[in-house]
Amino acid sequence: MPSKPLTTPVQDTVSKLDNQVAIGEDLGFQRKWWKFERAAWVMLALILLLDITGAFGRGPIAKARTRAPDGSMLIDYERLERIGTPSMVTITFAESAMKSGTVTLYVTDGLVQKLGAQRVIPQPETTVLGHGGLTYTFSASGMPGSIEFDLQPTSVGPHNLVVQVVGAAPVTLNIFVFP
Amino acid sequence: MAGAFRAFFGYFFLLFIVRIAGRRPGKQLTPFEYVLVFFMGGLALTAMVGNDMSLTNAICEIIAVALAHLLVDWVRCKSPVFARLTDGTPLLLLSDSQWRPETMKAMGVQDDDVMASARESSVFTLEDIGTAVLERNGEISIIKREQDL
Repeated sequence: MPSKPLTTPVQDTVSKLDNQVAIGEDLGFQRKWWKFERAAWVMLALILLLDITGAFGRGPIAKARTRAPDGSMLIDYERLERIGTPSMVTITFAESAMKSGTVTLYVTDGLVQKLGAQRVIPQPETTVLGHGGLTYTFSASGMPGSIEFDLQPTSVGPHNLVVQVVGAAPVTLNIFVFP
Repeated sequence: MAGAFRAFFGYFFLLFIVRIAGRRPGKQLTPFEYVLVFFMGGLALTAMVGNDMSLTNAICEIIAVALAHLLVDWVRCKSPVFARLTDGTPLLLLSDSQWRPETMKAMGVQDDDVMASARESSVFTLEDIGTAVLERNGEISIIKREQDL
């Protein structure tokens, strides 16, 4: 079986300057590259600008506020989240949310499974599993009052979260988690 | 598994950023380059490791980076176009007593950078430089002018 040759002849593969010095310059390629570099820096600057505004989370654009159609609660959250980065959902209840000294709140299980709810403040009196989510009961003496969920998202992509004061109108939060 | 993907992505992203950050002349790292290398390395590390600080993850990510490097090296050898994309080409800065202002401006090279390299090559005046070339690794090669007979 023929083996590969140990040597091959030297060929004039590197371009020369004045037919004397082999340099291998390719100014045509380099000019194209400089153009590409400039375009890339513009793009990167744009990404940075979007980041400052919060288009990738953690900024003014990321913050959102929504109110239940019947006015039972006001939710402050971040519609754009980052995986593993702590954030907070604050729910402020109106007088109409309180029934017999308690507020009962239902949230879909995406809150824990996808958005990594770490804890809720204040501690609920009861937490009940079921209907594809969790139902929290908080004791309350008067409204307005608010609760906070500490989140640390664990799943990348779009997530829909339904939040509802039991017996009132539900609210759907559309949250996107960046990697 | 996600760690290996993060490592792959981190490698190629850093390669891209360092490539478009451009070559700076000089054999040794200047404070600018130190800041760039350590800062970028540190930030990339945070994203690559994430919250998985296990030995398993570290081993897998090191292997992933090594494989990514091997892959880039292999494609560079196979494809001259890819080699130019990753390394660029040598660039003339000075020849026949003429500067190349377009190249010097684009690459951020000044005449004293050329002169610094010239002194290292025992060439002590700009007039004695025949050719100055910015190499792919950022070094400036100096070829002495042949004396007129």
